This record gives sequence, structure tokens and C-alpha cells, in this order.
Amino acid sequence: MQKVALITGITGQDGAYLAELLLEKGYIVHGIRRRASLFNTDRIDHLYQDPHESGTRLFLHYGDMTDGSSLVRIIQQVQPNEIYNLAAQSHVAVSFEEPEYTANSDALGALRILEAIRLLGLTNKTRFYQASTSELYGLVQEIPQKETTPFYPRSPYAVAKLYAYWITVNYREAYGMYACNGILFNHESPIRGETFVTRKITRALARIKLGLQDCLYLGNLNAKRDWGHAKDYVEMQWLMLQQEKPEDFVIATGVQYSVRDFINAAAKELGMAIRWEGNDAEEKGYNTHGKCIVAVDPRYFRPTEVETLLGDPTKAKAKLGWTPKITFNELVAEMVREDLKTAERDELVKQHGYKSMDHHE
Amino acid sequence: MSDVAVARRALICGVSGQDGAYLSKLLLDKGYQVWGTSRDTQTSTFSGLHALGIRDQVKTLSMSMLDFRNVSQVVSEVRPQEIYNLAGQSSVRLSFERPLETMESIALGVLNLLEAIRLVDPSIRFYSAGSSECFGDTGGMPADESTPFCPRSPYAVAKAAATWQVAVYRESYGLFACTGILFNHESPLRPEHFVTKKIVAAACRIANGSYEKLSLGNVDIRRDWGWAPEYVEAMWGMLNHSIPEDFVIATGVTLSLQDFIATVFSEAGLDWRDHVTSDPTLRRPSDLMESSANPNKARKLLSWVPECAGPDVARRMYKAECNQYSIVNYGESNV
Repeated sequence: MQKVALITGITGQDGAYLAELLLEKGYIVHGIRRRASLFNTDRIDHLYQDPHESGTRLFLHYGDMTDGSSLVRIIQQVQPNEIYNLAAQSHVAVSFEEPEYTANSDALGALRILEAIRLLGLTNKTRFYQASTSELYGLVQEIPQKETTPFYPRSPYAVAKLYAYWITVNYREAYGMYACNGILFNHESPIRGETFVTRKITRALARIKLGLQDCLYLGNLNAKRDWGHAKDYVEMQWLMLQQEKPEDFVIATGVQYSVRDFINAAAKELGMAIRWEGNDAEEKGYNTHGKCIVAVDPRYFRPTEVETLLGDPTKAKAKLGWTPKITFNELVAEMVREDLKTAERDELVKQHGYKSMDHHE
Repeated sequence: MSDVAVARRALICGVSGQDGAYLSKLLLDKGYQVWGTSRDTQTSTFSGLHALGIRDQVKTLSMSMLDFRNVSQVVSEVRPQEIYNLAGQSSVRLSFERPLETMESIALGVLNLLEAIRLVDPSIRFYSAGSSECFGDTGGMPADESTPFCPRSPYAVAKAAATWQVAVYRESYGLFACTGILFNHESPLRPEHFVTKKIVAAACRIANGSYEKLSLGNVDIRRDWGWAPEYVEAMWGMLNHSIPEDFVIATGVTLSLQDFIATVFSEAGLDWRDHVTSDPTLRRPSDLMESSANPNKARKLLSWVPECAGPDVARRMYKAECNQYSIVNYGESNV
């Protein structure tokens, strides 16, 4: 029997990679997207066929994590074997600006899906994956962080995700649902959102290299993260729903780099060398001509900083045989390559007198 | 300075509940002006405030915790020095039936208050009611402030989120905001859907001739039961401490529900085994077996030492119930 999966947040980075993976595995894939006045499906447009053609296996539905009845209606219609809850207001800094919306979509959104499964009598049929996050560890209580490390969330985003984590555990224990959390450390790719630090770096450096931009402004350069490739991580999301019993897993590489390390690696890919001077808010990066191309803007500091995150993926390896295949340097190289292509296109457009978009995030 | 000139103002959100009544009493005794909110003051009976004889001394306002405009308006009108947030869906059992309302009333309510404080006056001190339910089963290790949360009900998950939300606002914006992680605290003002009140009410009726059976879920659960009027002193202590910190508030004495029942029935001169039946449908989808606490931090830093613990809580509740019963049925108190 052909399996049916429902992905919330299919228009995001992970949703796109997961949809591709599940289609390859023969699934029928349904996705939920929010209505927006701008096109928001560019990450999955290559997977999406005209719905009038036959043999279509990817379907999109309008819905919203803050609208409980829309979720019930879609789940009733789709009758999924697996639900991957990837939808969220996923930006930590934005969560300080929009704490209530973040709680509503990230915390209550997960609860609404779990309740929809119960309400529709799908408790024994539908398996549920909740996208949890390393931000739960926040002010880390041990290094590295594993499944048993106590949480210490440091942002409204992390608190909302903490609620979603525990309510998932609670529904598993209280109602015997197959529901589990993947505690994913940072995972990036060429289709990472442009306002996330890795993508902001690769995009800006590519544009600086071609003279489309002067300087890259960032927050805390010392923050250390465990960065993997989203493509590896979605495989783990799928694996977690194929086990005999539901369990929570940390998904990480086990290797840590600072934001500055990431900048250096990206610059190296572009054949640029960066010389660093100064400390903290005064730190600046200069190119070989002595021009400042990276600077700190305290505006990007978070009210409460998460300094270091490092995951211990031992359990995922031991129980599911999962190890990430793509290294840090390969990840950076791929992101730089793709952003350089886009920058080259923009440069070409500009040379021919057409307007290219400059986004300042 | 006279008391009138420096009268401090306190705003109690959720004033119609047990803790709201005792806290109002405490703050009035300390010379505060007390403002209290409830979802709808027109339909709220404020029976707790009436029972303590302070209904007309507490100014009450209707406030929806979920409406930010409403919350910020109340905070700016009252301009309190201290806000106590006791509002929220408070039944663990009901939280399995109403998980969404539970989350909204607890966690989003706290968020609205924190944001209103930032907007109106960041120097307002904020107390938020946490819960021992956040710890889940404590097993043999009494929980203290450093014990990781392991919530086992939608109620507990919502309380855990609210506790962390308060911590994030304290650490991010420097607010004087803290959470009291209160273990079970009882009093004659408990409504009857709380098991302790259900037990003393039934025992009292049986002692007065009723032939009913008292039907209960799991009687092997163990809890740290304290006396609510003492717990509200800890709330005030937390907001009048030098720095904002979270505290576990408990007696440190753990009792099984069976011990609680036996104490109550023995006060009534009865053997509980003749009157109590077990009803598996009253068990929760995930019941906590043991909830025990280590309240040393509050003892040390707040000098808060509860006098009433364990069987004394059961005895006091039973005695109060009997007094109430006599007044209602015979028009007089047997004290």
C-alpha cells in the first residue's frame, strides 16, 4: 500500500527536502501552505506538477497552524499514515518581536495537530513527528547535549518549542500515540531562509565578491553551533517514524564551529581572505585591499544569547544507524556555489540595465 | 510616613480562586490596596473573598488574560507595584479534556502580562504561579529548584512553558519576574473537584449520617500537602526579596492519599475502608505516583517555614468542613 504523508511547513527548507525524499520513496505527499499574496512555494516548485496532469503525487492545501479547524479538515481529507510537523515561526530573533504569534503557531500548532489526530480517531493509524530544536538547550547544562540533557530555553521561540516537545511526549504517554521528537541541531542548505545567519553569510559574501554589496553586518561572531546539512537531517526524520516504538532523538554532527569559522570557510570557497581586527562589537573583517567587508552590528545581538550548542548524536547512530554524510566544508561549499550563481545572475541582469533585488536583512 | 501615603498597590489576576482570596487577605493586612481580576466580575461569586470577609475591600475588575489590550489597560489603570498572576485553568484532569484552553489561559496569559509590564512599567514586580506538576514523578528524589522538569499532563506542560517564559523575560529584559513552584496547598476554600476537598466533604456528610460511598481513583499517590494561607506568604516574600528568583514552595513532608483519607476519617471517628471505593475511571491518563519536595531554598532565603504539614492539613480541612456543615445545616457553629 502506498503510504500517505502530510507535511506542515512544506514550503520551508526541511519541508522541501523531506517532500523530495518521500516522493523518491514512493509516498503520496500532502503539504500545508499558508495563503500569502506573494508566491511562497519556490522551494518545492521543482517537485510540483500541474494538478491537471495524471499520476500526480504531491498535493498542496491551504491551511494555518493557528487555525485548528483547517488542520482537522485537511487531516480528515488526507488520512495520513505519517504527519511531519515542520511548520513554525522558526526565527529566534523574530520570536522576541512576536512572542505571542510564536507561541500560537509553534506551541499550540503542535497541540492542534495532536488533537486533530485524536479527534479523527487516527490515534492508531497516524504517526507524528515533531520538529524540536537544539535551542531547547539554550544555556547549556552539559556539553555535548544529548537526549537526557535538561532544557534551559532562552527565547520565546525556545519556550514555544519546549511546550511542543513536552506535549508530544505527553500524548505519546497518555494516549499511546506514535509521536516523537527530533531534537535537531542547526541544519542548513542552499535553500535555508535568507535571514538565517549561514545563508546570510554565503549570500552576502558572494554578492560582495561580485561588487553587488559592500559589507556584511552580523551579531555575535563568537556563537558556536553544530551545523549539519538539511538533506541528511530529513532522512533521520523519516527514519524516526519507521521504528517499532516512538522515541526522541538528538540529530547533530557532533562537531562545532563559530560564526566566524563559518565566514572564514565561506570566504575561502570564494577565494577571499579575511583579516580580523578588534573585539566584540568593534570586530571587523577586512579583505586583502583593506576594505571592511564584515562588521558587527549590536542590533543583531539577542536579548539573551545562546553561546554554544553541540549535539551528541550517539543514540541516532547506535539505534538507527544514522550518520550525517555531508561535511561542514561540503555544506559551506554548496551554499556558496548556489549563492554565487544567483549573484552572477543578478550581476548580469544589472549589466543589461534591468533592476535586480537588493534585500537588506 | 503614614500608611495611607505609601499604600502599595497590588494586582491579583485570578482573585476569585483559593489563593487569590488568601493573598488578598494577607496584602490587605499588610496595608496594600488590593485590586483583583476575574474573567467576568458580574458572574463571579468571589465566594473566597466573602468567606474571608474582605469582599468589599478588594476592588475587582473583569479582565481576559487573552486580550492584550485588556491586560495592558488594566495594568496601566491600576499601576500596581506588584502583580500576582494566579489565573489559569487549574485542574490537571480537565487539562486532558481542554488542552488548548489550558495552554492559552496559562502560558499565553503569562505572556500578555509580561508584555504589558514591559509596555507600562518595567519596574513592576511580577509573581507567576508555577506548579509542582512540572516535575512529574519525583520518585525518591525530592525536587528542588534545580530539578529538571518532566511534565506529564497538558496542565503541567503549559505551566512549564509559562515558567520558562517568565525566566526568559527576567533574563532578557531584566524584569523582576519570578515563579513560585508551589506544591499542593489546600484550605477550606478548595472547590470540590480537588480530591482533598472531596474527601473531607464526603467524610463530614458520612459522619453526619449519610450512607454514600466515596469513590476515588488511585489512593497510592503520594503528595506534599501544605496549608494555602501559609503559601501566599511565600508569594509575597518572593516579590519582596532582594533579587527575582524562582522558589520551590512546599512543606517537605510527603503523605500518601490513603494516609490523608485515613487521617480525615479517623478525625470523624470512622474507618475509611468501610466508606471508600475505587473507581478506575477517575484515574488520569498519566498519573504521577510521587511528588515530593525539598523547600530548603525558601526556608533559607525567604525565612519561610510552614507550620502546617502532612496530617495536620487533613485535620484542619476536616475541622473547617465540619464547622461549615454545622452552619449550613443547623445554623450555628460547633466551635
